[in-house]
Amino acid sequence: MTLGGSHLDASWFLILSAILFTLGAVGVLVRRNPLVILICIELMLNAVNLTLVTFSRQLGNLEGQLFTLMSITVAAAEAVVGLAILVDIFHTRDVEDVDELSEMKG
Amino acid sequence: MAIAVFIIAALMAIAGAVGVISFREPIRSVLSLVVVMIALGILFLLLSAQFVFVAQIIVYAGAVMVLFLFVIALFGPAREFARANLRFQSWLSAVFVFALLVLIWMMLAGVQYRQPDKTDLSTFGTVQSIAVGLFTTYLYPFELTSLLLLVAAIGAIYLSRKKVDDK
Amino acid sequence: MGASQLALLVLLFPAAGAILLAGRGWRLPRIVTQIVGPGVVWASFVCVVALLWGHLNDRCAAPNDICYLSSNYDFTYWTWIQSGTFQVPFNLLVDNLAVFMCLVITGVGGLIVTYSVGYMAHEDGPSYARFFTYMDIFIFSMLLLVLAGNFIFLIVGWALVGLSSYLLIGFWYQRRSAVAAARKAFVMNVIGDAGMILAAFVLFFTYHQTTYVGIFAIATNWCPSAFCDKAFHSDSFPLELAAFLLLVGAVAKSAQIPLHTWLPDAMEGPTPVSALIHAATMVTAGVYLVGRMAPIYDIAVYAHGAVAIVGAVTALFAATIAIVQTDIKRVLAYSTMSQIGYMFLAVGIGAYSAGFFHLLAHAFFKALLFMAAGNVIHAMHDEQDMRKYGGLFRQLPRTGGAFLIGSLALVGVIPLVGFFSKEQILGAAFSKGDPLALGVWVIGAATALITGFYTGRMWWISFAGKPSPERPVEHPHEAPPVMLVPVLILAALSVVGGFIQTRALGIGPSVVSDFLASAVGPLRWEENAGAVVVGLITMILSTLLFFAAYRFYVERTWKTWSANAPWAQRLLERKYYFDEIYDAAVVRPMDAIANWGARDIEGPVLDGAVVGTGNAAVAAARSLSLTQSGYFRNYVLVFVGGAVVAAVLLLLRTA
Repeated sequence: MTLGGSHLDASWFLILSAILFTLGAVGVLVRRNPLVILICIELMLNAVNLTLVTFSRQLGNLEGQLFTLMSITVAAAEAVVGLAILVDIFHTRDVEDVDELSEMKG
Repeated sequence: MAIAVFIIAALMAIAGAVGVISFREPIRSVLSLVVVMIALGILFLLLSAQFVFVAQIIVYAGAVMVLFLFVIALFGPAREFARANLRFQSWLSAVFVFALLVLIWMMLAGVQYRQPDKTDLSTFGTVQSIAVGLFTTYLYPFELTSLLLLVAAIGAIYLSRKKVDDK
Repeated sequence: MGASQLALLVLLFPAAGAILLAGRGWRLPRIVTQIVGPGVVWASFVCVVALLWGHLNDRCAAPNDICYLSSNYDFTYWTWIQSGTFQVPFNLLVDNLAVFMCLVITGVGGLIVTYSVGYMAHEDGPSYARFFTYMDIFIFSMLLLVLAGNFIFLIVGWALVGLSSYLLIGFWYQRRSAVAAARKAFVMNVIGDAGMILAAFVLFFTYHQTTYVGIFAIATNWCPSAFCDKAFHSDSFPLELAAFLLLVGAVAKSAQIPLHTWLPDAMEGPTPVSALIHAATMVTAGVYLVGRMAPIYDIAVYAHGAVAIVGAVTALFAATIAIVQTDIKRVLAYSTMSQIGYMFLAVGIGAYSAGFFHLLAHAFFKALLFMAAGNVIHAMHDEQDMRKYGGLFRQLPRTGGAFLIGSLALVGVIPLVGFFSKEQILGAAFSKGDPLALGVWVIGAATALITGFYTGRMWWISFAGKPSPERPVEHPHEAPPVMLVPVLILAALSVVGGFIQTRALGIGPSVVSDFLASAVGPLRWEENAGAVVVGLITMILSTLLFFAAYRFYVERTWKTWSANAPWAQRLLERKYYFDEIYDAAVVRPMDAIANWGARDIEGPVLDGAVVGTGNAAVAAARSLSLTQSGYFRNYVLVFVGGAVVAAVLLLLRTA
């Protein structure tokens, strides 16, 4: 695509998005604080948004951007509910390690 | 020049992402995520998505991240301590994540990108065009999304209330 | 009101009574049960009399014709099963034989049910209503049995009668002996039911019909006369088979050898039950069956001969056992077995009307004897051992007198009804002349002599002589009117009943034979005068033995023969060891097989499969639940692993 005469390739955006997504996945798998895990999930969602907008520009179709708006909204709602659940847990116990929340064993 | 902007924004994003997953203190993770979001906003501008850029900054970086900050400030610990790992967790994670990256690269590698379709850039991604799409063709998802927000709000209020002790 | 509606009413009255008493009987005042119980039977009786009135002048086309092919008597009310060419209608064959049997059932049955209003008065409300419910069910079932016009409803009635017998024998179900006796009766009846059902199958397989009219028409090549040439018919084999199977059913229901062991034990039931079911009606169902199937038995000569032999042997056999019984009801039970043997003898040689006349006579005097015995038992506070009686005639003159009349009728003393019926059978056997008939005549005559002996023993021990020192009641008093009047009515019938058919003497009316001729045909041979003489001699000898018993048992002037041969006494007391043989040959093996099945098949195999499935499910669940570690990060790992797999699949698809 051309932007002021220079040539940007869609693939660069997509690869960046892939890297961000993978980094987010690493964070979810490795970190222990439940809040940080939620943040990493948000990171993954952002990466997906980038992909959507890239393709929207590539194909000249606005649907990608509209979908991105929906994605942002849903991410917000999901963050709110997730945090509310965590707050509920934090009311009764001080959780530092998500491995402590393992009562659903078996 | 666009390439330069892209490279700077991309490096900012990657640095922020690495920061999110590495910092021991949750506050610093949140702030790193804000950096990532701003970088992504710049990238959206590069892709002629003005309205999405604004929404990203105002809603995502502005509201959602502030919410996270409040929760961490009120409830979160100051830092995370290293404890005994789950068995195999780190090894398997590395394997899977690496595999994921490779696979995605492979999927993207063989794609022949053509020139982007000719679009009228003066109207692409503007508030007006987004509004037209959102309120006509995609009215239904729009309304559903607002319902979803309502439900989320009610749920959050209910879930996070302090329980009255019955004893 | 036509015959078809009357016939239906005959069935519906007892059914309605049973339903009413079963549902509401114990909640309503006792007087309702007392009226409805016997009342519906008498209502049926009235309808039967009306049917009789219509049938009295019935004759078919020719005097020697049997009217089963006439459609005047076969009423179809609705079609129960219709499946292709297989059709089972609900039809009743209301010919003279059916009306005759209904007369006996409702008439004698009505008297007995009325009697039991008094006999069972000690029972409390629910039990009282339950008794009459069962009695009404029985009357209904027996009527259905005799009125049915096809094999299916015959079997329905047959099975219901067996059920009623079980319910009534085990009426006092708190007694273990009663429950065991009821079960024994039911199991042996079921053996007979199996025979009946197989017979119905054989006949259906051969003729594709279920109705009597249909089967008889084809089997006899549409020849209605009693004198059709039927020997060695082309269908002989299936008819012989069916006839033997029907004989099995008859033998079980009528307690003939070898399926007789249930009848003495059935005396555990209340005395009216013994009177009605095990003397007058249910045990005569076998005789009715042979008579109804006369067209088949006329062709199946081997089975026909078997009927006569079974009857004769049972008659002699039961009479010998009756000599050593001490329980008054058991003497009467073996006596019943013996007299039904006479009826089987009669229908077995082809003298159907003689057999049915004896059925009528036996219903009179045996019901009389049982009810009079019931009065005695009632007066002696449920003591049934005759050795504890003695000298009752002075204290219970009316009951004693009625008992005497019944006993003399049983022995066959002129001019009581028993003489005319028994001697007609023996005379017919003597007159027929062929080897089988003469053989059974000898056995029958010998049985008559023994009958005189044991009957005399029974009467003298109970009513004559000195009161036994072991008497439970010093001054017994007579029964109330509701129990005495039916007894006296039957005594009167026993006295005058014989005069409707005096053919045994060679002269006089033969109302029963003429009435039944349109159903079973006339007698196929001439009776000769020698039969009359021989009959009179038999009667004199039996009467002498009746009085001789006095010398043996009361005066003790002559030593009983059993004192000289104790082994014989033991043999008779053990009823020829039939019960022991059955126990060893049938009951023990069945128990062993059942135990083996329960231990080795049901436990390991069946329960094992069921429990094993449960255990396997639990084990599988337990092993699968190991994946549920409870750790969030493990679950996310699985997510990502799944995403990797999905990506690989996508790549492979597009590649």
